Amino acid sequence: MTFDPATVAAFVDGELDDLTARRIAREAESDPALAAEIARHRALKARLTTHFAPIAEEEPPQRLRALLVDDQVDTSLADRREARRARFAPIHWGAIAASLVLGLTIGLRPWMPAAGVVDANGALVASGTLAEALDTQLASNQPADAAVRIGLSFRDETGRYCRSFEGDGLAGIGCREGSRWTLERTLRGETRPAYRQAASGDLAADAAAMMAGAPLDAAAERVARDKGWAD
Amino acid sequence: MRFEEQLVELLPRLRRFARGLAGSAGDADDLCQAAIERALKSRDQWQNGTRLDSWMYRITRNLWIDERRAAGRRGVHTPIDDAITQIAGDGAAEVEAGALRGDVDGAMARLPDEQREVVMLVLVEGYAYREAAAILEVPIGTVTSRLARGRETLMHLLGEAA
Repeated sequence: MTFDPATVAAFVDGELDDLTARRIAREAESDPALAAEIARHRALKARLTTHFAPIAEEEPPQRLRALLVDDQVDTSLADRREARRARFAPIHWGAIAASLVLGLTIGLRPWMPAAGVVDANGALVASGTLAEALDTQLASNQPADAAVRIGLSFRDETGRYCRSFEGDGLAGIGCREGSRWTLERTLRGETRPAYRQAASGDLAADAAAMMAGAPLDAAAERVARDKGWAD
Repeated sequence: MRFEEQLVELLPRLRRFARGLAGSAGDADDLCQAAIERALKSRDQWQNGTRLDSWMYRITRNLWIDERRAAGRRGVHTPIDDAITQIAGDGAAEVEAGALRGDVDGAMARLPDEQREVVMLVLVEGYAYREAAAILEVPIGTVTSRLARGRETLMHLLGEAA
């Protein structure tokens, strides 16, 4: 079976229907040329994303903010933080999660940097350091000072690869869809050990509920990673 | 949330998009400023409940295209044009690819405007094809064909490993 270049590109862009996406992923297992083509597209995308990501993490210049924010009136950081917390639209959670990942506080950084997590068409998707950890980091072999720690890797009922993770600001479970990690569960991470343990317990319970079969062992995790979490 | 607050939230992403289009940081922020001013002026045209991000990206992109066209008519050489001339002077395509290996900005600058904006929207900003098509006000098929050409050029310029 062959796929035209547009279909391979659409696969990497997460634009295919599930059935076709799975056929490509399966085919790539036994077709090195197809696998290489997919890897080439992913590499380009990762390259561009990484290159432009820092710009969205910068503080926008004052001349731009000044057009929109009346700093004379809007001075109460605590009020603003409360107000933001009270809103639950997905885009806000995305931005909040993003700033938590950066170890920043919303009230202090109202421009809300978008690293770690981005809002993609209403879904929360891992980006930056978090995406990189989910892509590449093995639970069996992670640096002691890793910003993000990977917990369990497993397949869910629909066959997707999912991985639980914990960072200083954010913990959760990401599931592979096309070339992205969609965040299925997010918990606010805490640096205090007691909270961290509680979060681990919650995540493990969530993971167990989502899992089809057993979690991947170290060897299976490595194989899955080397195949780019596709199939 | 207030209109202005939503724009403040969008600003980091908008700056990233503008940088991809305009190339330099200064030009990108000028573009953002113009887009914000336009948005504030025409806020009545934005329908609450529709996506503000798409609306803002469309404004930004249209301002940029207008400026590029005006500059073209005036015969202004932008730094981008200079870069192309310089590279073209070196001759062989391989030299060009070699010179740009690792230089994402340089490679992006080599793309025609209509490919660069699609690459930014889909590959960097993460928009679905149909959303990018709506922002650019072109058919989806136009988005996919421009994206394919942009990708091929970038892969070539940045090397096989991209």
